[in-house]
Amino acid sequence: MRTDEGRIGPARRIALALIALGVALGMVACGGDSGIEGSEAESDVETAEAQGEASGDLFVSNWPFYIDRKTVPAFEKKTGISVKYVEDVNDNTAFFGKVQPLLERGEAGGRDIMVVTDWMAKKMYDLGYLQNFDKEAVGPALDNLIPALQSPSFDPERNYSLPWQSGMTGLVVNTAMAPDVTSINDLFDPKYKGKVEMLTEMRDTVPLVMKASGVNPEDATEEDWMAAIDKIEQAAASGQIRRFTGNDYTRDLANGDAVAVIGWSGDAVQLQADNPDIEFVMPDEGCMLWSDNMVIPVGAPNPAAAYEWMNYAYEPANQAQITNYNYYVSPVSGVKEILEKQGSDAAKSDLVFPPEEYTADCSTVDTPPGGPEAEQRVERAFQSVITG
Amino acid sequence: MTSPKGRDRSAPRGALRRRAIPYFLLGPGLIWLLLFFVVPLYFMGRLSLESGSLETGGFEFTWEWSNYGHALGDYQDRFVRSFFFAGSATVIALLIAYPLAYAIAFRGGRWKNALLFAVVAPFFTTYLIRTLAWQTILSDDSPVVSTMQTLGLLGDGGRLLATDGAVIAGLTYNFLPFMVLPIYASLERIDVRLIEAARDLYSSARTAFWRVTLPLSAPGVVAGTLLTFIPASGDYINAEFLGGTNQAMIGNVIQSLYLNLRDFPSAAALSFTLMAVILIAVFIYIRFAGSEALMGEEAEKAK
Repeated sequence: MRTDEGRIGPARRIALALIALGVALGMVACGGDSGIEGSEAESDVETAEAQGEASGDLFVSNWPFYIDRKTVPAFEKKTGISVKYVEDVNDNTAFFGKVQPLLERGEAGGRDIMVVTDWMAKKMYDLGYLQNFDKEAVGPALDNLIPALQSPSFDPERNYSLPWQSGMTGLVVNTAMAPDVTSINDLFDPKYKGKVEMLTEMRDTVPLVMKASGVNPEDATEEDWMAAIDKIEQAAASGQIRRFTGNDYTRDLANGDAVAVIGWSGDAVQLQADNPDIEFVMPDEGCMLWSDNMVIPVGAPNPAAAYEWMNYAYEPANQAQITNYNYYVSPVSGVKEILEKQGSDAAKSDLVFPPEEYTADCSTVDTPPGGPEAEQRVERAFQSVITG
Repeated sequence: MTSPKGRDRSAPRGALRRRAIPYFLLGPGLIWLLLFFVVPLYFMGRLSLESGSLETGGFEFTWEWSNYGHALGDYQDRFVRSFFFAGSATVIALLIAYPLAYAIAFRGGRWKNALLFAVVAPFFTTYLIRTLAWQTILSDDSPVVSTMQTLGLLGDGGRLLATDGAVIAGLTYNFLPFMVLPIYASLERIDVRLIEAARDLYSSARTAFWRVTLPLSAPGVVAGTLLTFIPASGDYINAEFLGGTNQAMIGNVIQSLYLNLRDFPSAAALSFTLMAVILIAVFIYIRFAGSEALMGEEAEKAK
């Protein structure tokens, strides 16, 4: 057959181009994950019962940089459960915005475990989005929980939340550029104008500013929250604060765009690897303490496997593996001894095993007082400042 | 338009079919618009008049017009700022794009396609990555900033990142191809003999440009400015990564209302307000620029 290539009709040429585009896009689409499967809604389930032997699939949603590479395969090998471990939690509010429509329908997008900060766990629980634990099934894990975390105010009996890791919010400082930053108040020093940053997580940033003004966030009123937000607003408007960030303050510190920020303890250790000048500084007035908790959402397909995962992570030897990677505060007792035996630096770090006097002035992250409407007012004021 | 009446009488069935053809051709586009524009628009409109909050039992439709009052009142400064940023970016993009498109169209020669490819090439990288790259280029310790400080163009404590300039520059950069391509398309179509005729009639090169080339390329300029200004007004990526504490645009506010505060009604009301303001601005602009500029020669011929 003889074809004259120079004379393909325009219609056919467009068709060929479209086919080529379709094939290219199709290849991209097939390369992606097949997506999240929805699960059947369970109506009014109070407790996630562990039925029978744990087996099948497990879907865990967690924050990035929270687990080493060996834990998941080791768990799969030991239990025969196949794990889908997804790092899709970057920010409590944004994650909530994403899963809330599913949870409202009694589904969790196939998730068995989600990891969220204390206040968010409580918020989800109050909205009926979480299930209570089967205390018998999660018993081994609860036995290993350190006493300090056994009865937090939001869930005094650990009915629906179990810490994954804990940590501190304080100052992360480039000590070569800003050697004298030791208090949150120093962030308002004109000397550092345009070189300081604060977190978009309201419950980290605002209480720290309150503490610096001598207000205890644990019994602060709505006016105290608003006063602190006003103070932040003025600093933002004058250009004292360069910007409000999530985890990406690490980039600005590394670039030299920021010299002192409000940040998280584990990040500081990871930044130190590249720049030894960057340090976590405990503010004079103390830090904020928080935990990120494993919770079981409504509609979780495989609670039995979820409990198996919790119990596995709470075995001190397995936990030591995780802590040695992420350098956050471990909620499991007996980890320090194991890390000491292994000669790990983590065993010596105040950030991983904070001595009592180190965190003496610290407060627990909590939500503004006065119920959901007051909380919404404070949230609105803060959001208005960070999108000023 | 010619009236089809005459043909109607002679062949009624054929004419019926012929008259139906345009609707068939419009079909796919209309269905698409209905499904993905009109329906969402309806739901967004409804949402913008609801009240309540997620924590206190969900939202209810209550004709809550005050959402619009709040949207305009609370975020007026950010509206003004958005349009200032988008407008500046559009003007700068036009000043860069016109000479560029002109050079490609009239002086490109055999390099035309390569040059056009160069204009589009950045699009092979995602928008987000391109903007993040600018974050590194403009950062305080970057060679760009230190060079400018050495030359005295920037004060010692001066910076580029997290300023109005950075956001406008980012918008300009990201939307430049949308300005270049339509202008190029309209310049490329110009019959060079018209310009030659102007020169033959003793016009200077400058006069020929002002009286012939520029008016003939007006449709491209109008299309380019709209394609730049409209998406730039609603943009939030550039302000997010290149801006600081006083550079938030209306897109950032909508994002925060929607995802962080989950105040869906206010976010919807703000989106509608933004749409309305842009629509009015564009309408005035087109009236000012003249409809023939948008429709091109077709409109002129029809006169």
